[in-house]
Amino acid sequence: MAGFFSSWFSWLTSLLFSKTAEIAIVGLQASGKTSFVNVIGSGQWSEDVVPTVGYIFKTVRKGNVNLKIWDVAGQPKFRTMWERYCHGADAIVFVLDSADPEKFNTARFELHQLLSQSALSGVPLLVLGNKNDLEGHVPVKDLIRDLQLDKIADRPVSCYSCSMKSQHNLDIVLQWLAGRSH
Amino acid sequence: MSFAMAFSKKEDESGLSSYYNNKTTIIQEARVFNESPISPRKCRQLLTRIVYLLYVGETFSTQESTTLFFGTTKLFQHKDSALRQAVYLAIKELATTAEDVIMVTSSIMKDMQPNSEVIYRPNAIRALCRIIDPSMAQGVERFFKAAIVDKNPSISSAALVSSYHLFPHAKDVVKRWVNEAQEAVNAKSQGYFGSVSSGSSSFFGGGSSQNATQTIPSSSNITQYHALGLLYLMRQQDRMAITKMIQQLGGGKSGAGTTLKNAMALCMLIRYAAKVIEEDPNVQRQMVELLEGWLRHKSDMVNFEAARVICEMKNVTAAQLTKSIAVLQLFLSSPKPVLKFAATRTLAALALSHPASVAACNVDLENLITDTNRSVATYAITTLLKTGNEASVDRLIKQITGFMSEISDEFKVIIVDAIRSLCLKFPAKHAAMLTFLSGVLRDEGGYDFKRAVVEAIFDMIKFIGECKEQALSHLCEFIEDCEFTKLSVRILHLLGIEGPKSSQPAKYIRFIYNRVVLENAPVRAAAVASMAKFGVSSSDPKLNHSIGVLLNRCLDDVDDEVRDRATMYLKVFKAQNLVEPYVKEDSVLSLTALEAKLVSYVKDGSASAQPFDVSSIPKISRAQAAAESARPSTLDTIGVPAPKKTSAAPPPPTAAETQSAYADQLAAVPAFANYGPILNSSARPLPLTESETEYQVTCVKHIFKEHIVFQFNVSNTLPDTVLEQVTMAMQTEDEGLSQEFVLPINSLSAASSPGVAYVSFVRDEPEDYATATFQCTLQFVSKELDPSTGEPEAEGYEDEYQIEEVELSAGGDYIIPSYAAFGAEWDRMKAGPSVTETFGLGASVESLKAACDSIIEVLNMEPLGGTEIPTSSSVHTLQLSGLVTGGGGKVLARCRMTFSQGVGVTLELGVRAEKQDVCQLVVNAVGG
Repeated sequence: MAGFFSSWFSWLTSLLFSKTAEIAIVGLQASGKTSFVNVIGSGQWSEDVVPTVGYIFKTVRKGNVNLKIWDVAGQPKFRTMWERYCHGADAIVFVLDSADPEKFNTARFELHQLLSQSALSGVPLLVLGNKNDLEGHVPVKDLIRDLQLDKIADRPVSCYSCSMKSQHNLDIVLQWLAGRSH
Repeated sequence: MSFAMAFSKKEDESGLSSYYNNKTTIIQEARVFNESPISPRKCRQLLTRIVYLLYVGETFSTQESTTLFFGTTKLFQHKDSALRQAVYLAIKELATTAEDVIMVTSSIMKDMQPNSEVIYRPNAIRALCRIIDPSMAQGVERFFKAAIVDKNPSISSAALVSSYHLFPHAKDVVKRWVNEAQEAVNAKSQGYFGSVSSGSSSFFGGGSSQNATQTIPSSSNITQYHALGLLYLMRQQDRMAITKMIQQLGGGKSGAGTTLKNAMALCMLIRYAAKVIEEDPNVQRQMVELLEGWLRHKSDMVNFEAARVICEMKNVTAAQLTKSIAVLQLFLSSPKPVLKFAATRTLAALALSHPASVAACNVDLENLITDTNRSVATYAITTLLKTGNEASVDRLIKQITGFMSEISDEFKVIIVDAIRSLCLKFPAKHAAMLTFLSGVLRDEGGYDFKRAVVEAIFDMIKFIGECKEQALSHLCEFIEDCEFTKLSVRILHLLGIEGPKSSQPAKYIRFIYNRVVLENAPVRAAAVASMAKFGVSSSDPKLNHSIGVLLNRCLDDVDDEVRDRATMYLKVFKAQNLVEPYVKEDSVLSLTALEAKLVSYVKDGSASAQPFDVSSIPKISRAQAAAESARPSTLDTIGVPAPKKTSAAPPPPTAAETQSAYADQLAAVPAFANYGPILNSSARPLPLTESETEYQVTCVKHIFKEHIVFQFNVSNTLPDTVLEQVTMAMQTEDEGLSQEFVLPINSLSAASSPGVAYVSFVRDEPEDYATATFQCTLQFVSKELDPSTGEPEAEGYEDEYQIEEVELSAGGDYIIPSYAAFGAEWDRMKAGPSVTETFGLGASVESLKAACDSIIEVLNMEPLGGTEIPTSSSVHTLQLSGLVTGGGGKVLARCRMTFSQGVGVTLELGVRAEKQDVCQLVVNAVGG
C-alpha cells in the first residue's frame, strides 16, 4: 500500500511541478545526432549507430524537466523535412562534426536555409561542435566564424564544443536545454 | 466510440455537416496536431474527420495530404492508444497521396517491436506495409518473420496480410518467409485468454488510463486463412507445390486430419483445389477424394464450397455428382435463406449440363417455387424448367407469370434465358412460351431484359418454323412502342429478312412505314432498308409499286443516311442487275483481315500512290460473320450465373491480329525495309520440333512480292547453356528460289527465348508460284554458363540440330480461304483460264469425308455451301473458293469425287482462276 501511495505521490508531484521542452535536433548525416540523444537519454555511447530513417522521437527526463526530442535524419533527402519538426520546438540543436571541416560549407548553407524560415524566427539555437575528442577538431571560435553564427541576430545562439564519446561538456549542454523548458 | 457519438450528435444538431466536414476547415484545424501539450480527444476527432472525408471520396492534393501527414506524425509522442489507432488509420489513408511518407518509418517500427504494447503492434504492421518502398522490405524482414509466428493472432494476421500486400513489390524477400507462413497456417488453436498481455499494472503509473484496453485474441483462427492466402501467393507458379500443399492441409481422405480449423481457410483451399483440377486433369481423382471428404465437414460453408466445386468441374460424371447433389438437396430444405440461395444457384447452373442428376432434387425445388425470397424462387423455377418434362412446362410458366413483376431485371433475364432454352428443347410448347414472352415484352423493364426477350423470340423464329409469323407480329407490335433504338433496328432488320418470306408480306409494311414516320434517324434508316428488302424480294408488282411510292417519300427526310438509303434502293429497283450484289449479297468482307490490311496500307507511306485493293481481302459468309461476332451462342449460356473463367485469359489472337503483329516485327528489321508490303504470312507458327525437346523451333513464312522470308522462332530451354550465332541452314533441290541472306540470333539463353532468326530467299520469277521443300538444320555455338557467376564460358563448341522439313506449298502460302457464291462465280469465270484433271487418290483414302478433309487442308481454300461434309458415300462434289496472294485474284475449285470399295477415291478436279498459272498451281498441289 505504501508503495502504491509513494508512486502515486511522485506521479502527482511530477504532474504539478515538471517543466517540458521540445527540442528538434538537426544536422548533417553522421554528425552524431542520434548518439547525442542516446547519451543524454540512457548515458550509453555506441560506436555503431544505424543511420536514422525519417525521425526518432524520444522523451528524456532530467530532474523535473521533460525533454521531448525530435531527432531528425540528416541525409540530404530528409533535410527538407527539418523545418516541419523544428516547427513549434522550444529549441533547435544543430549538431556538427567539428573534426570534418570539409563539410562546414554544406552545414552552413543548410543551417542558414533552415533559419531563414519565417515560422522559426526567435527559436533559440544551440550549435554543438561534436567529436572534440578527435585530433584536429576545430575550436569553437573558428566554428562561429565558419558557420557565420555571428550574423544570426533574431534569436539567442549558443555554440559549444563537446564530445558524446567522452561526454565532455555534456553538462553545460543539458543545462542550456533545461533553460529552454517552461 | 464516445467521439463517434459526439460527432454524429453534433452533426444532427448543428446541421453544419457540410461546413464541419469541409476540406478547408479541416486543413485549418490541423493546427491542433502541433499544439503542446497534445489533446488526444481533439486530435482523434480531427483524424476521424480526415478519414471520413477520404472515405466519402474527397481528394486531397499532394501538398495538402503531405501537410496533414506530417501533422499526424507528431502525434506519435502521445501514448493514448485510441489516438494512436486513429493516427494509424489516417496514415494508411494519407500514405497514397502524401510525399515523403518514409519519414514515419522509425516511429512505426518502434511500435512494432515485441516490447511495444500489443494493441499498437498489428496497427503498426499494417501501416508499415503502406509506407515502405520495396527496397526496404529487406530491412524489415526480421520483424515480419517474428510477427508472422507471433502467438497473438491479431499480430500474426496483420503481418500475414501485410506480407500479402508487399508480395507483388518485393517478391524475393517475401518468398523467404515461407517457413513462417507455414508455421502460422499450422498453428494450434489459441485459448481464449492465453495471451492477454500484461499491462494492467501500469494503470496509474503511466499517467494514462488507456492501457487498460486489452486485446482479446479471437478464437476464429482467421490467421490460418491469411497464412494460406500468402502461401498460395508464394507458390502460385508451381503447380506441384500447390498440389502438395492442398494434400498436406487437406488432411487425408476423410478430411478429418486437417490442421485448418478456419472455415474460410478451408473454402479457400477448396478453391485452390478447383484451380489445380482445372489446370491438371491428372490430379482430379485424388482431389475429388479430398473434396468428398469436405462434403462431410461440420461447417455449411465448407460443404457448400466442396459441392459447388465438384458440380463445376469439367467432365464431371453423374456418379461423382451424387454426393454433392445430396448435400445441396439438404440445403434446399434448410431454414437459412443463404443456404437455399446458394444451393439453388449451383443447381441451376448444373442443370444445364446434367439435368438428369439435378432432377433428383425436383421435389425440394417444387417447394421453393413459392419461397418468399424471389431470388431463390427464380433459381428454383429455372432449374425446374431445365430438369422438368414437357408436362410441367405450362404449370411452371403460369407460376412465373405470377411473380414476374416482383423480381429484379437481372432475374427476369435469367428466367427469359431459361425459357429460351426450353422452347428449343420442347418445340411443341412454343405457343405457351411465345405467349409468355410477348406478355413480358409488354411489361416494364430495362434494356438488358428487353434484349433478352427479343433475342429469345429471334431464336424461336430461327429454330421453330411454325411460330414464325406469330412471333413476327409480336415483334411488330413491340416496335410500335419501343424506347430502345438498338432493339428497334435489330427487329426491323429481321423483319426485312423474314417478312418477305411470309405468306402476306404486305401486312408488315404498315408497321415498318410507321417507323419511318415516327422514329429517330437510325430507326428510320433501318426501316428504309427493311422496306427495300420487301421490294426486291417480292414479285407482286402492286407491292413493289407501293414500296416505290413509300421510298420516294423518304427522299425528303431530314437525315442524310435515310435519304441516301432511299435513293440507293430506288436505283436498285430500277436496275435489277444491281439487286444481287447490293441487296442480296450473302458475303461480307472479313473485318479482321480488312482492318489488318488497312492498317498496313496506312502505315506504308509509298502504298498510298495506288488505291487500296479491296479484292485482296478474303470474304466470309454472313453465317461466319455472325459466328465471329461476340454474341454468345444461344444454347450455351442459358440461365447460368456464368462463371467468367474464360475471360481471365485474354482470347487467343485472331489470324488478323497475328498478321499485323508479324508486320510490326518485320518492319523492325532494316534488311526487309525495301521488300514492300507482306502479301501473306502463315496463319499460325508451324512447329518443327517436338514440344518436349531442348531446342524448340517454329516457322512462319512471309511471302513478299519478290522475296520469301522464313522466320524461325527458336527457344532454348536449357537454363545453363547459352547459344551463340544461331543460324538456320536451309537446303532445297527445288528450283525457283535462291537464298539471299541469313539473319542469325547473336545470343540465345533460356531467359531471352524465343529468339527470331530469318532466312530470306529471292523469288527468281516473281510471277511464278515457286514451291519447294527445305531441309533445315539449326547451327549454333553452344556455351555453358558458369553456375556461380552466370557468365558464359569463353570457348564453346559448334553444334547442329536437325529439325523437320519446311515446305513452301500452294495452300496456306499462296492461297488463302475466301468466301464466294460458288454457282454464280463458277459460271462467271467460265471464260477465264481453267484446268480439269483426274486423279486417283489411291486406296489409302478410306472415305469421301477423308478425301474432302485432305483436299481442304492441302489447298487451304474455303469449302462452300456445306460441301465439306459428303451426304452420299459414293458420289460427292466439293466446292472450294480462295484468293491468291499478291493480286492473283480469285480461284475456284470443283472437286467431283466418286468412291468405290477397293479402288478408293477418284477425283476430277476442275479449277477456274483469273490466271493460268494459278490453275496449274492448284492442280500441282493436289497432284504433287
